[in-house]
Amino acid sequence: MAITVKKVDRNVDMTLWERMYIPEMICGMLITWRHFFLNFVGLFLEEVGGKHYRRIATVYYPEEMPIVPVAYRGRPVLVRSKNGIEKCVACGLCEAACPPNCISIIGGERPNGDRYPDSYVLDGSRCIFCGFCEEVCPKEAIVMSHDWKNLCEYNRSKMVYTKKELLYPERNLQKRFDVLRDKYFSAYRYRQSPNLKTEPKE
Amino acid sequence: MIGVVDLIEVLVKIGFIVVLLVGVFAPVLTWVERKQSAVMQDRIGANRADVFGFRIIGLLHAAADAIKLIFKEDFIPRGADRTLHTLAPIMALIPAILAFSVIPFGGTYTFGDREVNLVIANLDVGVLFVFAITSLATYGVFIAGWSSNNNWALLGGLRASAQMFSYEVTMGLTIIGLVMFYQSLSMVEIVAKQDIFWHWGIIWHWPAFILFLACAVAENKRIPFDAPEAESELVAGYFTEYSGLKFVMFWTAEFIEIVTISALCVVLFFGGHHIPFIADAKLIDCFSSLGANIANLVAMVIGVTVFVSKLAIIIFLQMTIRWTMPRFRYDQIMKLGWKMILPLSLIWIFVVGLGMLTNLIPRI
Ligand code: SF4
Ligand code: SF4
Repeated sequence: MAITVKKVDRNVDMTLWERMYIPEMICGMLITWRHFFLNFVGLFLEEVGGKHYRRIATVYYPEEMPIVPVAYRGRPVLVRSKNGIEKCVACGLCEAACPPNCISIIGGERPNGDRYPDSYVLDGSRCIFCGFCEEVCPKEAIVMSHDWKNLCEYNRSKMVYTKKELLYPERNLQKRFDVLRDKYFSAYRYRQSPNLKTEPKE
Repeated sequence: MIGVVDLIEVLVKIGFIVVLLVGVFAPVLTWVERKQSAVMQDRIGANRADVFGFRIIGLLHAAADAIKLIFKEDFIPRGADRTLHTLAPIMALIPAILAFSVIPFGGTYTFGDREVNLVIANLDVGVLFVFAITSLATYGVFIAGWSSNNNWALLGGLRASAQMFSYEVTMGLTIIGLVMFYQSLSMVEIVAKQDIFWHWGIIWHWPAFILFLACAVAENKRIPFDAPEAESELVAGYFTEYSGLKFVMFWTAEFIEIVTISALCVVLFFGGHHIPFIADAKLIDCFSSLGANIANLVAMVIGVTVFVSKLAIIIFLQMTIRWTMPRFRYDQIMKLGWKMILPLSLIWIFVVGLGMLTNLIPRI
């Protein structure tokens, strides 16, 4: 298949009106002015009980906590299933996929033949929160949690997470599973579906 | 021979201007710049500095900054020229304040048999004086860049000097039409002639106002013309190697230049201290029942207030430009200066000359 090149229209062909700069500049200033007055006048209107015209995005961090979106990638955690053991089967895929090589696994085998990670060490000081581990894991055993607080330490050695710190109850991660399945599995299904033509679109 | 009363009068005026510029405008503008940009960008802005729990909408940050910068180490890099490195911020700050000496911040008022003219020096060539003095600021900037022994600083200084020299020429030419219109180079006379609203510079010379404002912002090296101190390219440009109070001097110089430029705009285009449709004499008449001296005093206070409010509006305009526009590329700055604003200002001089020749533009 020949490689097709798509020309991106960078919108550099400006009209004469745009090239005159001043009118467009005034339009831009009107936008910033509108924001200014909405936020400024809205401050006083709110005081007297008017409508909420202000669109302030600031979160007063230590007093207020930001609400992170569902697809937010926080600290990677190992999923602990309902019967109390980790879902991980020590296949080593995440170890191989991790770009900064921050995962190291030593596998083991249970008496019933199930494989499990004897030791699972994730170096939090090297993790780049890329989410590759979560993407490759065949068992949904490692996912990115919404954990973003207290991830800093004065000492790097304190940031090396072992199984003890990594295990996270499954019931708290349901939302994340939904996001994951929506993101990866539906794409997979799309590719596999015989009803859909798999030719790339123009 | 200067009498003692004259001396006191001049000193009071100088004190007023210095306190207004360094004591009021410079700290308040740092606050305005932070707060206005924040509100514009749907943020809240700096408001954490507090004294005993009082935050006063972030105004204390100026004080906190001052205290921090005073106690900071005054660092001179190795290999830098110590004398010039120390001299440069002074050379940048002095012209910025000096340019204000010919700007009238009020009219002429009579107290008893004394005439008080609210300008420090009533020069016949006030306009030329302002341009001469502001071009001296180039030395401060360039020497700062050169003496720092730092590549970023040197590049910033080079860019600054080239840019400021180019826009110096253009800025002078943009208001030649205005000078022809008012037939005077004296700031006081130009303001006096804008007594009538229809003689304001902005009404007859609005194209010149746009060109002048563009040049003035470029001269002040602020966004969108801030290539000399482009943070993303040159760290901080010519004052990369400055810290502590010397850094404050550069910063203050920049804010005072904003005020000076706004004052020039007010004086040349927006009628100085005049209220539209109310002439000075009429204003004094309104309060004549209080006695001549008090009437003059009230008119003086009103005049200065009007002047400062107009100043504030133009400063607000400049700040909005600063927080709205992206930076020009360096070649675009040069092209704009030499290939667009310069010819346009020449054309405008021609148009004004033609208009005055054919009496389409009144002579005043
Ligand atoms: S998020 Fe990326 S860097 Fe962090 S452990 Fe997973 S794969 Fe490694
Ligand atoms: S990819 Fe998943 S199952 Fe495999 S070792 Fe990593 S966490 Fe365990």
